Amino acid sequence: MESDTVLYISQAMHGLAYGMVLFLVSAGLTLIFGMMGILNIAHASFFMLGAYFCYQVLSMTGNFWVSLIVAPVIVGLLGVLCERYLLRKLHAYGHVGELLLTVGIGMVILGSVKIFWGTESLPVTVPQILKGLVKLGGLEYPIYRLFIIALALVILAIMGLILYKTRLGMIVRGAVSDAEMVNALGINVPAVFMFVFGFGTWLAGVGGVAVAPILTVYPGLSDQVGMDAFVVVVTAGFGSLKGAFIVSIIFGLLSSFGVQFVPKLAPVLMFGFMAIVLALKPAGIFGETE
Amino acid sequence: MKALRFVVAVVVLCILSLFLIPQARAGMDAFDVNKMADMSDFDPNHPVIPTGDTIKIALVASFSGPAATVAQMYWACATFVAHDINKRGGILVDGKRKKIQLMKADHMSKPAQTKKVCERMVLHEKVNFLIGTNGSNNMKVINQVAKKYKVIAQDFTALSDELYNATNFTKYSFMTVPSCEVVGKALAYYYGKIRRKEKKFYILCQDYLFGHSMAKGFKRGLELYFPEAEIVGEDYHKLFLKDFAPYLEKIKASGAEVIYTGDWIPDAENFLVQARQMGITLPVANLFLNEPNMLHRVGIAGTNRLVNFSMCGAAEGSAFPTADQVKYYHKWHDQWKKWKAPYNTYLYEHGWSASGSMGSYIQQIYWLMSVIKRAGSTDPDKIIDVWEGDSYRDVFNTVYYMRPSDHKVVADYYVQIYGPPEEQKACFNIPPYYWFKGCSNPIKIYRIPALRCAPPMDTKMARCKGRDIWGNLIK
Amino acid sequence: MKNRPVKVILWALFLGVLVFYPSLFGLYFTNIFVIFSIYALYATTFNYLLGYTGLLSFGHAMFFGIGGYGTAIALERIQGLPLLPAIIIGALAAVMLALILCPLLVRVSGTAFAMLTLAFGQLMHVLALKLRWLTGGEDGVGGFPIPPFHIPGVISLDITDPKKFYYFAMVVLALSMWVIWFFTKTPFGSIQTGIRDNPRRVEYLGFKLPHTKAVVFIISGGFAGVAGSIYALFQNLISADDAFGIGNSFAPIIMTVVGGIESFFGPIFGSAILSFIDELTSRYTERVEIVTGLILILVIMFAPKGFSGFLRFMRGKWLSPPNANPALEETK
Repeated sequence: MESDTVLYISQAMHGLAYGMVLFLVSAGLTLIFGMMGILNIAHASFFMLGAYFCYQVLSMTGNFWVSLIVAPVIVGLLGVLCERYLLRKLHAYGHVGELLLTVGIGMVILGSVKIFWGTESLPVTVPQILKGLVKLGGLEYPIYRLFIIALALVILAIMGLILYKTRLGMIVRGAVSDAEMVNALGINVPAVFMFVFGFGTWLAGVGGVAVAPILTVYPGLSDQVGMDAFVVVVTAGFGSLKGAFIVSIIFGLLSSFGVQFVPKLAPVLMFGFMAIVLALKPAGIFGETE
Repeated sequence: MKALRFVVAVVVLCILSLFLIPQARAGMDAFDVNKMADMSDFDPNHPVIPTGDTIKIALVASFSGPAATVAQMYWACATFVAHDINKRGGILVDGKRKKIQLMKADHMSKPAQTKKVCERMVLHEKVNFLIGTNGSNNMKVINQVAKKYKVIAQDFTALSDELYNATNFTKYSFMTVPSCEVVGKALAYYYGKIRRKEKKFYILCQDYLFGHSMAKGFKRGLELYFPEAEIVGEDYHKLFLKDFAPYLEKIKASGAEVIYTGDWIPDAENFLVQARQMGITLPVANLFLNEPNMLHRVGIAGTNRLVNFSMCGAAEGSAFPTADQVKYYHKWHDQWKKWKAPYNTYLYEHGWSASGSMGSYIQQIYWLMSVIKRAGSTDPDKIIDVWEGDSYRDVFNTVYYMRPSDHKVVADYYVQIYGPPEEQKACFNIPPYYWFKGCSNPIKIYRIPALRCAPPMDTKMARCKGRDIWGNLIK
Repeated sequence: MKNRPVKVILWALFLGVLVFYPSLFGLYFTNIFVIFSIYALYATTFNYLLGYTGLLSFGHAMFFGIGGYGTAIALERIQGLPLLPAIIIGALAAVMLALILCPLLVRVSGTAFAMLTLAFGQLMHVLALKLRWLTGGEDGVGGFPIPPFHIPGVISLDITDPKKFYYFAMVVLALSMWVIWFFTKTPFGSIQTGIRDNPRRVEYLGFKLPHTKAVVFIISGGFAGVAGSIYALFQNLISADDAFGIGNSFAPIIMTVVGGIESFFGPIFGSAILSFIDELTSRYTERVEIVTGLILILVIMFAPKGFSGFLRFMRGKWLSPPNANPALEETK
């Protein structure tokens, strides 16, 4: 293959991999937001917790696959607890209170992480089986990044199945568009909320575990990720999963090709894209206009 | 007649060298390990902090926030020095022996908070010295506070040259850490004059003042010492970037032979981990890729061929050439074994030594102590009098010279080549004959003479007009 | 109004304390007080949007920041620029920004408004980091010359002296706050509360909703710009994280909620309470995040109406007839 072609294919793959991580985080954010109207500022902190639990389980069992299953579940359970015992009680006071509560939760998570694991970065390594590179006609690509892409696709498929093929999914979709109506139908909406919040934080946890082997696991891991995911959600339209998926990939590609062609502008591209979208359609690409 | 002329020439040269080479100045104060107190009761987790009539020093750093590790490291260094000095009975100032009282001043990595906490330290706690800090933007604020309230500040960790240029200079602040340009020049000197092999460089730095200064220094160095070198790419990434893959892919395609970076952790770790995962095995010329926990994560192969600038080091060759240095090593290392979290990690194992920045931090703080002792006072003007043009010999026999014109340190610095544990005995010449078993570490150290890596001087400043790199007037 | 004399005495006492504050408490607490007052104005401008008009802004820092940058850059680049024009440049920069964003933002309300302001706030943050030639990137603009506060024939005050800066800042901030307070008492203020409580009725009355919102938005942004401008002068530095960071957008929200949304003085109480907490945590603990986070959670869980809600509750309990409902007081 031409060396330029190889370069561009690799950049596209990197963009895809980063987009998938963004998707894992923003999917939970957009679900929670779309359904409960809560902008979960602590979402990225749950993402960071995923990485820390991954380290903890890994150092106890030595098995990456166990931590891939266990760590996100613990994160999801913590999310459920936060919803049940904190957020639910505030629902009557409106969104400002809920938002600030999540700010507080985020701070407490950050503080606790420092107490339990200290401030130095923790070593999480790529599992043996996923180490190394795939070589294909001059193209070299790390297996682990392929794994991230595959993982995100599998989760997308699971989410699709739950949302579109089960009764629970139907209720969730209904509650996203009109929670009162669903409540009037005699469905236990608080329980659904709890499930959605737990599921959203579980997704963030999966994202955290997925990136732990390639990123610095330290108390600042959540910085920036939360903001990027938030920009995805705003650009895509609140509550739109499909939108979050597509916009995540667009942002991933923008970031890698931005670095390739206009490195000086790379960090601005995403926000520029968002500004243009919002100027044309304030509700986001896939959002419904009020 | 000819013989006489020769003798005269020799005598003149000798006298000249007395002026030109500060190392030769008589009566220089030096660090002496044999005067050190018994350190067996030192524990950074439980430092003994005296109160009352003391010499108060505020350590300004990010004790909370994501960069808390850095502050924790500074704290270990500063308490080590204070413990030693206090056990020796303190320092005689203004006719009274006083102990050192260290105070934590948390700036949370925010300039506004830095200003607030420094003002509290100066106005409320009445500290005599502000020392710090991580982040050139925060150091700038410390210097402003020092100037406003007339207290002495010591910059022992922020490297940006611009902190001491015509706009920012204040006579109350002293930079005892090498500047960005020193780092860049020293590494360029190594590649151009010592190694003379790789010619294609790729510069990847952080997109803020420090990163750009680091890049500028390296480019200046290449111009001076390696004109035939080629910079095949140059990128500045945003701070706290998560995904380095797009930059790394560019580096891969550029045909670079060496990557030069000024990144610090977490960026440095993300960069190195991801580069090695992507199969990029190029050597990396760097400043902060020396954190042992990270090196262990990347492993022996991945950390091989790192080329580090070192702020302190021994003579060329072994890290412990004399008995004094071995003794000094044990002062720290023997205690380290007893410490509890967070000070029980690899980071602190040889932390004081040539492999890390901590060794330099400790020696820089000892320099401050020596200056206070010789000034015999905490009065800022007396400190300035002593420190300007002062020379101090550290435990590794490196001489620090405080350039009076712009308060930047001039000294020899070091470039270290990393290699696997079995080769480390060439450098780590005492048992167990390796630094770390799980990662590469220095196997060879090169001394870069001060003249070759002197910090730049801003001649726009009246104090610096017509002066040479030692701050002396050029006749 | 029967306790009018008491009120007058209290105000006089308050003014007296303000005047002699620097001599009473020393330099350090004077500086703390200046920061508190700057944030009190900033939070008040925020509450002018939220409490009076029902517009929740997650990106209020963009006005604060651009005000600070406006003043700092003007003083850095224009030789011999006097002080007041520099502050006005900062405020105008904020007004300009509000004007540019208006057409986009007045069309939406509620959560969409919050999200859009957050998004644009972040855009400003990224721009401040990226336009290094103008803003100095991460390091910000600092060390610019600070001219004296000079009105020919009346006063000339060297505000680099912290004590004099205190008096100067108090006058500017109190004046700004008074202007905002004045706005809330005019008929325009009633329209605002109308928008908050029943937007449709306001439209039926013949007021154009978007236009009214735009005016409110611009006033609020402009005064946030003044707060930012004073902040830049006080610190002699403005940097991207301090100015546009997400924390700086959340600060006024937290202050307003802690102090109480439904009262004009709520944000001021909030700013005072947070200054106090900040002072305590930075002195006695390194675990700043967890302590602040816990306090925040506790306040929101147990006193969702904030400090002024608590005050009203207490007043209702002690000063009203036994069976008066404290909740009724809140509708005032």
